[in-house]
Amino acid sequence: MPSKYQSSKVNPVVLVALGVALLAVSFALIVFQPSAPSINADAGVWSQLLVAFVTGITTGGLSCLAVQGGLLASSLARQIEEDYAAQSVAAKKKKNFAVRTNSALPIFLFLIAKIAAYTLLGALLGWLGSFLTLSPLTRAFLLAAIGLFMIGNALRMFNVHPIFRYFSIEPPKFITRYIRKTAKGTDAFTPLFLGALTVFIPCGVTQAMMATALGAGSVALGAALMFAFTLGTSPVFFVVAYLTAELGAKMEKYFMRFVAVVVLILGITTLDGGLNLMGSPLSLQNLKRRFFPENPTWVAPQSESSVTGDLRLDVKNSGYFPATLKAPANQALTLDLITDQTYSCARDFVIPALNYYQLLPASGVMTVNIPPQPAGSKLFFTCSMGMYTGQIVFE
Amino acid sequence: MKKQTFKIPDMTCPNCAMKLEALEDALDGVKQIDASYHKLEMVVEYDESKLNEEQIIAAVKKKGYTALTI
Repeated sequence: MPSKYQSSKVNPVVLVALGVALLAVSFALIVFQPSAPSINADAGVWSQLLVAFVTGITTGGLSCLAVQGGLLASSLARQIEEDYAAQSVAAKKKKNFAVRTNSALPIFLFLIAKIAAYTLLGALLGWLGSFLTLSPLTRAFLLAAIGLFMIGNALRMFNVHPIFRYFSIEPPKFITRYIRKTAKGTDAFTPLFLGALTVFIPCGVTQAMMATALGAGSVALGAALMFAFTLGTSPVFFVVAYLTAELGAKMEKYFMRFVAVVVLILGITTLDGGLNLMGSPLSLQNLKRRFFPENPTWVAPQSESSVTGDLRLDVKNSGYFPATLKAPANQALTLDLITDQTYSCARDFVIPALNYYQLLPASGVMTVNIPPQPAGSKLFFTCSMGMYTGQIVFE
Repeated sequence: MKKQTFKIPDMTCPNCAMKLEALEDALDGVKQIDASYHKLEMVVEYDESKLNEEQIIAAVKKKGYTALTI
């Protein structure tokens, strides 16, 4: 009897050809990216990838499960049902009652296709972002926009106001219809195809991660971020694939608040990074320094021959030391930036107000000329991600 | 064919809209369903001789949502 779920088969040859083409495009984009950052050398990049993976394995997995889990579960449920029916018939004939299903392979195919599709998407977003990262200021605005997008999505999840629903992107109807109809297929390629199609129905956390990949401004980093994130979501998918679609709906309601809190925190952190990169006194770190001032440190020139500046700042993997420098007002100064096996993003040194941006050597000294500043003014400096910050107070 | 709009106040994400649109396949007599998370509503085009409002509301309830006629 023909199944009522039977749908048009996906041609395997077309699918494989499409997969090979997509992999070739992503490989070409990664290899021929002219200004690809060295992932091996940059500890900051690794920490970003770790954050992406942890986000995936925690909130991302649960949030994606709510949005995409139903598709996978319903597709697999049919497969398991058919396997079970086939085995029952076989058991009656052969008096052998070993119940075994083939659900692991479709889940595996689904997840592999999903990871590959999102990695490619990350590469494309990173490539698009590379056109936007012309200056630290552009990057700052991009980070701020990403942060606002995340905060808007979190407020949507909290159901604060109907207006926040527009922070969630609704996929076009023809795509959702197509995915729905494809989900009814029972052939082995359906899960593979469905996994790739999930790029069109990203959950809130995935959309936030996509925005981060865009902000990365690099094909390699964009792809790596999405790969790490999607890899992180996979264990949750794998476990839940054995459960029903109904659980997806229940999990969605149960974890929505938790996911919203995490997205809100990520959003505020990202927005704060953008504000730091703009040199805004309104960033959380700069506000903290304003209301809970640290003791400004006057740093005298050092005796080493390579260090000749009026001010010295140690650029370490964990940030800038001291974070607050005191300097005389109304006179030109030089600032020596000292690195010693520094590989974090602290190396990407930015003084937004001076429009100064420099990638420092991993070990060495770089001198910055600082024009005279009025008494009482502050000059904020930061890394290019807006993570590590500091200030020079002029007196 | 009749076109009826229902308010679905408990949709929480675009996937809810997708789940409701899946009723297209489950309900005999439905021509098309357009659900929108942004508007929290669902427009159903159906054959009145095969289906009625109560049946649609019941089907929506079975999916875990509340449908209100407007």
